[in-house]
Amino acid sequence: MQRLAYAIAALVLALGIGSARAADDVLIGALYPMTGPNAQVGADAKAAMETAADIINGNHDIPMLMGKGGGLDKLGGAHIRLIFADHQGDPQKARAEAERLITQEHVVALIGSYQSATAATISQVADRYQVPYMSADNSSPSLNQRGLKWFFRTSPHDIMFTQAMFDFFRDIGAKTGRKVQSVALFHEDTIFGTDSSNAQKQMAETAGIKVAADIRYRGNSPSLSAEVEQLKAANADVIMPSSYTSDAILMVRGLHDVGYAPKAIMAQSAGFVEQAFIDAVGPLAEGVMSRSAFALDASKARPAIPAVDALYKARNNKDLNDNTGREIIAVIVLADAINRAGSTDEEKIRQALVATDIPGDQTIMPWKGIKFDSTGQNIEATPVIQQIKGGVYHTIYPFDVAVEPAVWNVGK
Amino acid sequence: MVGGLLMGLIYALVAAGLSLIFGLMDVVNFAHGELLMLAMYATYVIWLVTGLDPLLLLVPVALLLFALGVAIYHLLMARALSVRFNRGMVQIFVTFGLAILLRGAAQFTFGSDFKSVSKSWLSGKTIDLAGVYIPLPQLAAGVVSLFAFALLLLISRTEFGHALEATREDRDAVALIGIDRNRIFAMGWGLGAGAVGIAGVMLATFYYVSPSVGANFALIAYVTVALGGFGSLIGALVAGLLIGQVEALTALLIEPSLKQVGMFAIYLLVLMFRPRGLFGTL
Repeated sequence: MQRLAYAIAALVLALGIGSARAADDVLIGALYPMTGPNAQVGADAKAAMETAADIINGNHDIPMLMGKGGGLDKLGGAHIRLIFADHQGDPQKARAEAERLITQEHVVALIGSYQSATAATISQVADRYQVPYMSADNSSPSLNQRGLKWFFRTSPHDIMFTQAMFDFFRDIGAKTGRKVQSVALFHEDTIFGTDSSNAQKQMAETAGIKVAADIRYRGNSPSLSAEVEQLKAANADVIMPSSYTSDAILMVRGLHDVGYAPKAIMAQSAGFVEQAFIDAVGPLAEGVMSRSAFALDASKARPAIPAVDALYKARNNKDLNDNTGREIIAVIVLADAINRAGSTDEEKIRQALVATDIPGDQTIMPWKGIKFDSTGQNIEATPVIQQIKGGVYHTIYPFDVAVEPAVWNVGK
Repeated sequence: MVGGLLMGLIYALVAAGLSLIFGLMDVVNFAHGELLMLAMYATYVIWLVTGLDPLLLLVPVALLLFALGVAIYHLLMARALSVRFNRGMVQIFVTFGLAILLRGAAQFTFGSDFKSVSKSWLSGKTIDLAGVYIPLPQLAAGVVSLFAFALLLLISRTEFGHALEATREDRDAVALIGIDRNRIFAMGWGLGAGAVGIAGVMLATFYYVSPSVGANFALIAYVTVALGGFGSLIGALVAGLLIGQVEALTALLIEPSLKQVGMFAIYLLVLMFRPRGLFGTL
């Protein structure tokens, strides 16, 4: 009995010390799909964000914002600590988890969340509790148009991304003389695919490009064979998919199955930049293009990339991609704002975020910089277009930062 | 159309195993999709390690799943059956819990990334029949599915099949004529899991594998079974084919994102006019 009492006393003491130490840390709640069809994205995001935390807290010398390490100097060297929650890709679970992180874990900010549908509910909860939500990798344009005071997004959204695609179509058309006449839209039916395809439809119209097909499908279907038949029948110059990994695999394999070799595929990132997609479809992925917020091959202009990539690779045994690159920079920007606020008071952090003005070369992103407008959107996030060659994405546009010439089969 | 037909055959085979177990024991196996997932992982892992073509793995994986089915019966279902109170709910929770456990275990063991058998005799090959393209892996899957159905029907005609039938009709009375109920149930689970094992091997030749892949097929399997009639093999076959066609047609005529709506509309219609399913006798 006495031994039990000692054990309990020791346990209580240990917990006490544990929580006392934790109080020094600045807590940030990160919401990702850790189970379900997109669990790998969540696992990669966790590795990326922990890499970012390591850069901030540890002892490094990386030529970027917060790259010196040593924690948050204006908060006495406090470390940031990420608490991960699993929203399973479900907007309702995301809402509940966001609430739990704020009310029970007492995080000072939220960050997330991959699927835009989950960001929609998380950011609402954040706004209600007056806690900043940093959107690292949600790309729906409607997210920052809801009048939320506590929403911030470092990454471009799908209108900015889509603009880059159509700029590329215009410029490559002018350069090669082979213009895009028609596109076929192919998108999943949640907020991501819907918003993305709406932007594409609008811009195609403005650019005088015909929308030969507009195919909305249900994600994680057992089969997309009927859908790819429609793509084949449309035979557009460019197929523009907005798809998560599983559907990206089925679409590209399906096109091959029906004996159709599309002239060009221009993807709205997501599943198409995942290594699992490239591994699964192998040679069929060659020539696939995608917009990207991140360019691994831009290390000349962004000298921090090799060091950050090495740190990430040590954790997760793969290179940074469009998603993980954006996740790292979002944590860095958030930590920088907390540091500049010099406080864990949420309103002060929000004000620091509003005042953010970071030049692009202080980041690992190919952007002009980071500066939020009144809706919380970073207006200096300038995307690039990349193309798969030899199983790896290379930057092909804008032409002045391209490392490989574009392989352009339209009009041939 | 052809795509819908071949997909329908796969749906039918996945559903056959479910139907078998349901018809025999009145148990909805909520872990059915997870058994499919395990079969796909088994195919993937053996292919990765030994380099053997998935087609050669049909029999080993089917046997493996058969053994697993028998084990699930003896270790879990037999115990769930002996519960005195609210037996139906207990059985549902047992299989539901098993599903979550298997999915979690797969994510823990294999990671959550999408894997796929990238090289096999069939993969990436496609036949051109005067403009109608038929992907070889799907065609092979359809043919194998038909063979599996023939085999299952054959089994149902044997003495063992009659014992299955008798046990289904009156599980207590069969004991009087010397049929070991436990053995029959275990065989039923084995056969059901074996059928889904065959479906898993064939699916792995053209579909990706991930811990949650079972869910994509399980829902359709439940509808197929209910549509075809609980416990009816022919019903599962016809319903699977029907669902494949309805999906393809809905995608073509209305909108791809409403594929499942077409499927459920048909199911609800059948439920209204013939609640026991198209070929149901129960």
